[in-house]
Amino acid sequence: MSETSPADSAVITRSRQEPEVFAEIFRRHAPEIKRFVVRRLGLDVAEDVVAETFLAAFRQRGRYDLVRHSALPWLYGIATNLIGRHKRTEARQLNLLARTGVDPVTEPFTSRSDERLSAQAVRQRLAAALAALPAGHRDVLLLVTWGGLSYTEAAEALGIRVGTVRSRVNRARAKIRKELGGTDPTALVIEEVRHG
Amino acid sequence: MDELAQLNSFRSEVPAQEDLRAEAERLMAGISAPARSGFRRLALRAALAGGLAAAVGTAVFVVQSPPAPVPPPPMIRTVAAVEVLSRAAEHAGSRPELHPRPGQFLVYESQSMGTSGGDGGVWLSRSKRTIWLPVEGSAVKGVLQEELLAPLPYPGHTLPPAARAEQALVGKPGRPDRAADFDDRAEFLRNDYAYVSKLPTDTDGMRKHLYTQVPNDGLQDYEAWNRVGGLLDESYLPAAQRAALFRAAATIPGVVTVKEAQDAAGRKGIAAAIVSPNGVREEYIFDRKTYDYLGRRGVVVDAKLADAPVGSVVSSSAQLKVSVADSAPIVE
Repeated sequence: MSETSPADSAVITRSRQEPEVFAEIFRRHAPEIKRFVVRRLGLDVAEDVVAETFLAAFRQRGRYDLVRHSALPWLYGIATNLIGRHKRTEARQLNLLARTGVDPVTEPFTSRSDERLSAQAVRQRLAAALAALPAGHRDVLLLVTWGGLSYTEAAEALGIRVGTVRSRVNRARAKIRKELGGTDPTALVIEEVRHG
Repeated sequence: MDELAQLNSFRSEVPAQEDLRAEAERLMAGISAPARSGFRRLALRAALAGGLAAAVGTAVFVVQSPPAPVPPPPMIRTVAAVEVLSRAAEHAGSRPELHPRPGQFLVYESQSMGTSGGDGGVWLSRSKRTIWLPVEGSAVKGVLQEELLAPLPYPGHTLPPAARAEQALVGKPGRPDRAADFDDRAEFLRNDYAYVSKLPTDTDGMRKHLYTQVPNDGLQDYEAWNRVGGLLDESYLPAAQRAALFRAAATIPGVVTVKEAQDAAGRKGIAAAIVSPNGVREEYIFDRKTYDYLGRRGVVVDAKLADAPVGSVVSSSAQLKVSVADSAPIVE
């Protein structure tokens, strides 16, 4: 954000009198929020979730805590809640990837990912590990990693305590580490290349 | 790499998402829903024009989502229709212009489907056609060549025996024939190039043209909408008039957006539409990226009025090509 543009909180304040000003919040953050949602649910569902996220944000703008300069954690929180309605879709896609190596989420973007093959085994295990996490743990972990939120921001986004964020992240990390370290991923890659 | 780094690179090939038009439209509809004044809408469009142009115009990554097994019902929103037509207007000048001269012909290739029948039952006739229309003057000097396609049952009905005559002609292109034996349209319904290139280039002027001598019988907006179609199908407007036409169409009350539409040739796009007194949503379909006009489609929204199931398609067209020719085929 350039120094001259007003903080999100100022834009939201103004949008309470002039609703159309809220379009600026969309312009600033929709691309990032959408990428996040696409990574979790894929393109098909993402459009709906992102549209609903900003509509919900617009309707809740009166309750926005103006102390927070950046609206991004707030938007991530709303998006995460809405993603929760698609838990089954998310799990189905992760499980498919874990079982078959085919990721329906990234399929439309294959041209960019020639390096993917080398990490195939890791991807499958990651998918299995993510699918196995409790939803609340997965939410926190992905806000912190993919969303780049701090623990404080993640806590704000989800309306939970910072301590809860920390413990969930730690437990989720441990589970993933265990899944990835279970066997030597490199061995599996060589195996696959030989067969492929 | 530790597990967080692994996680960060997981699905990192998903690129930055630039195409947010659908979401932006829905937000706009939500923002302007409670306040219905025209002023509010205009202000909103102005507010979004700058910001969204950046988000939309710089789409660098064309996303091909896999086809869904069952298409969801089309989403209909009101205010955003203005946006579809505004964008069509903005894109009106983005193609190389045709400059047909007097004495030449505009050649339109199209495909269409519409209701046929009578006492012997109803069905849907389909055809592909090429029409040569003089740059100036009535369609009497025009030439039409048509090829019938297999007729289809009218939705919810069986194909009546009367449709067999059409069936027999499938695959046998007709010979070029006179496009019309007479053309006694009122002046304001003309759509030859010489006439349409003199139409107003401002929204107000074009709107007045669309409502010329429309009786005040409660169907005037539908009539104006039809006249828009008269200037889109087998008609070619200079960019300035085309832009004005779309802007004027956006002012017609009752226009809605249809998120997913398909023309007679199966090309997908986004549409602006109005519901006819016959319970059919009359759509004008535009390409999602270029906003080129693709064609029309009529979708049933009132089963009783249309005598067909809701959601079924009872008419369509696809404008496939327009070009300029020095002459038309000789008619025997």
